[in-house]
Amino acid sequence: MTMNVQPDLEFIRAMKEAGGNTLKQCYQCATCSVACPLSSDTKPFPRKEMILAQWGLKDQLIADPNVYLCHHCGDCIALCPRGARPGDVLGAIRAYVYRSLGWPKGLADLCSKAKNLPVLIGIPAVVIFFMWLISGGMHFPSGEQFAKVGYTHFFGHWDFRLLAKNVLFIDIIMLGSVGIAVFSLYKGASALWNGMTASIGQNEVLYRPSVPQFIKQFLWPAILEILAHKRFRECTINADRVRGHQPLVWAFIGLFFVTCYSLFVQDVLGIFWPSMHGPLSMWGPVKWVANVAAVAMIMGTVILWQNRNKMEAAGTANTFYDWFLIWIIMGVGVTGLAAEVLRLVGVVSLGYIVYYVHLISVMMLFLYLPYTKFAHIVYRTLAMAFERYRESSYVKNPLNG
Amino acid sequence: MSNTAGNGAVLVVGGGISGLTAALEAAEVGNDVFLVEKNAYFGGRVAQLNQYFPKLCPPTCGLEINFKRIKDNRRIRTYTLTTVKSVSGGPGNFEVQLETAPRYINANCTACGDCAQACGEEIADPFNFGMNTTKAVYLPHEMAFPRRYVLAKEACSAASLDAIKAACKYNAVDLDMQPQTFTLKVSSIIWSTGWNPYDPAKITNLNFSSSKAIVTNMMMERLAAANGPTKGKILRPGDGKEPASFAFVQCAGSRDENHLQHCSYICCMATFKQISYIRAQYPDAKIYVFYIDLRTPGKYEHFREKFMADANTTFIKGKVADIVAERDGGVTVTAENAITGAKVHQKVDLCVLATGMEPALGEQGKALNVAMDGNGFVVSDAAKGMLSAGCAKAAVDVYTSGQASTAAALKAIQIGR
Repeated sequence: MTMNVQPDLEFIRAMKEAGGNTLKQCYQCATCSVACPLSSDTKPFPRKEMILAQWGLKDQLIADPNVYLCHHCGDCIALCPRGARPGDVLGAIRAYVYRSLGWPKGLADLCSKAKNLPVLIGIPAVVIFFMWLISGGMHFPSGEQFAKVGYTHFFGHWDFRLLAKNVLFIDIIMLGSVGIAVFSLYKGASALWNGMTASIGQNEVLYRPSVPQFIKQFLWPAILEILAHKRFRECTINADRVRGHQPLVWAFIGLFFVTCYSLFVQDVLGIFWPSMHGPLSMWGPVKWVANVAAVAMIMGTVILWQNRNKMEAAGTANTFYDWFLIWIIMGVGVTGLAAEVLRLVGVVSLGYIVYYVHLISVMMLFLYLPYTKFAHIVYRTLAMAFERYRESSYVKNPLNG
Repeated sequence: MSNTAGNGAVLVVGGGISGLTAALEAAEVGNDVFLVEKNAYFGGRVAQLNQYFPKLCPPTCGLEINFKRIKDNRRIRTYTLTTVKSVSGGPGNFEVQLETAPRYINANCTACGDCAQACGEEIADPFNFGMNTTKAVYLPHEMAFPRRYVLAKEACSAASLDAIKAACKYNAVDLDMQPQTFTLKVSSIIWSTGWNPYDPAKITNLNFSSSKAIVTNMMMERLAAANGPTKGKILRPGDGKEPASFAFVQCAGSRDENHLQHCSYICCMATFKQISYIRAQYPDAKIYVFYIDLRTPGKYEHFREKFMADANTTFIKGKVADIVAERDGGVTVTAENAITGAKVHQKVDLCVLATGMEPALGEQGKALNVAMDGNGFVVSDAAKGMLSAGCAKAAVDVYTSGQASTAAALKAIQIGR
């Protein structure tokens, strides 16, 4: 009998590009599974994931919750007798999985390589510039007007009071991006959940939780654990990361709240009380939250940036996958804060340019969410919920056997 | 001193089983041989074993005949407590500086033991890896050759030293002995400097120093040896408990970039051998062997099969990466069983680390400009007149050491022609 074995070059190449080129060093001693503080007794990792990746069994990896449960703390890397760097390999597997689950595929592939960076920046730059052109708002306001309305007339202004022109254009751009991302993540998360449940033989069962039950029993506890950063704190080698990641998480939550509040006050309440339009008062508590969150975002990113520099100095591969998200978030934070400062000191033209760059970085953050490292916000949370589901009475229900 | 290099004299550095073999092979075809040994006795690591492969003989079996041959051969000059300080010259014409450390006991010694009776101080017994103590003036071990006491002068009080000197009927105690340097002229050098057990304290995640229930495989040899600290009864150091369960931790420090990169070759077979010791004493003891893969080359396979069939011995594919000391004196070892895909936390009474072989020459070899490979093994290069044998050359068993020693001796005598 002859057997024709075709190596999966595409997978191997993707592993290499995302920093998993040490994969082949692994000789399956399983030191990593014991070294890992997050690895459970019954479903340990990353030893098994290493051999699945060596064998190119991508389908099993995509449906493996352990891939997402890994927090890349590096304890396994420190003890690995072969320099196979399992933590880095799992990071590369995640990069590969986000890309394969991503929709549309073209956009997912685009986000996987540093050489596409001009296009990745170019898409939002062109879209926003084009919207600016067709909005008719393309002129710099006078100093007094800028002080009064800030950037809220960036895309022009009209007298139709139910929907501000600026809000319309921002919504088209940002909600459009978020819409694509949400749809992509929905597809990806469904595929992941189906894969994970199938891997424990639970995809077609009689009893499963309703959506409220799922949220209450599995998702919410997972989210609480994430907010507390319990797993990050288990790490011994790279414990510093929690100091960067936790402020960042709270910054995102804070800015999400501020954005929603601002939208409600300006564009809902503003319909009835026109004085509600314009930038938030600098002395209001909400603006405080916004500013604290912006500073936390930049500080958190700086810490993560330094941490990654340190990791790279210690031998972790320099990958676009890891840096891209840090760059985007840094871009969002710095341009956002800079635009605010320029508004306060009344530098119109530079303020507008910085605001334009801010819109670009925010659109990048939203549009590329499902394909960059940012996707972990959904997939890791889902895996942590699955981990609870796996141990729950739903799975152990004999009627589900 | 006379120029022995012209006669094709061979310097053999290291007097373990490899050095003894190489020295005898070279001398028995008519070459002058200088055999130097760092320890106070010949026999090296083999002397410390309970039994050794291939035939599971006690070390007396192979060493005694070699000692007899050396005593009978006038072409071999032996030096104990001696190390090489510098090497100059080239093949056919080496000049080697050596230094002999003071033994404080001269050739008058009859090993009667009266000095030890008079000695008040005790030291950790290096031959038994510190598992027991011995008097500060001592015979290195029961079958030590040369059969002569050694004095650890720095461990003794002045009064004790006087008592030791007074106790000797043969005037063998010489407290004024000084280190002596001397020069040898030889045509070739055989490095048979052997190995040291890898320091288990360096494998930090195995927590060697956290419990007396964690021993190395060489300590296990001493525990099982009739002339060992427990007279051959395998007991847990510290509390002397008869262990009911054992864990063997394979590749402890070997095949590991952070420790020894090479496979130490003997540890798998050493573990099977030590299972045979345990079975002889504790027929029902539970034994757990944690391994990456079992390397039992050649006909050793049969030996392995015999113990793989043992119902009370479990083999777990997965390297132990954590050991925790338990309150009852035992330890719990943790590994992932790669076959079941679940973690194993196994509590045992005694845990044996199958530590590997670290080439003993190390830094000293670098200072002497001896050619060594990346793992510290001596490269055998006849063109340079520098040969290596046994575990100085590669991590091997006694049988392969013998072959390498004969090969080195053959090359060495050719350089002298």
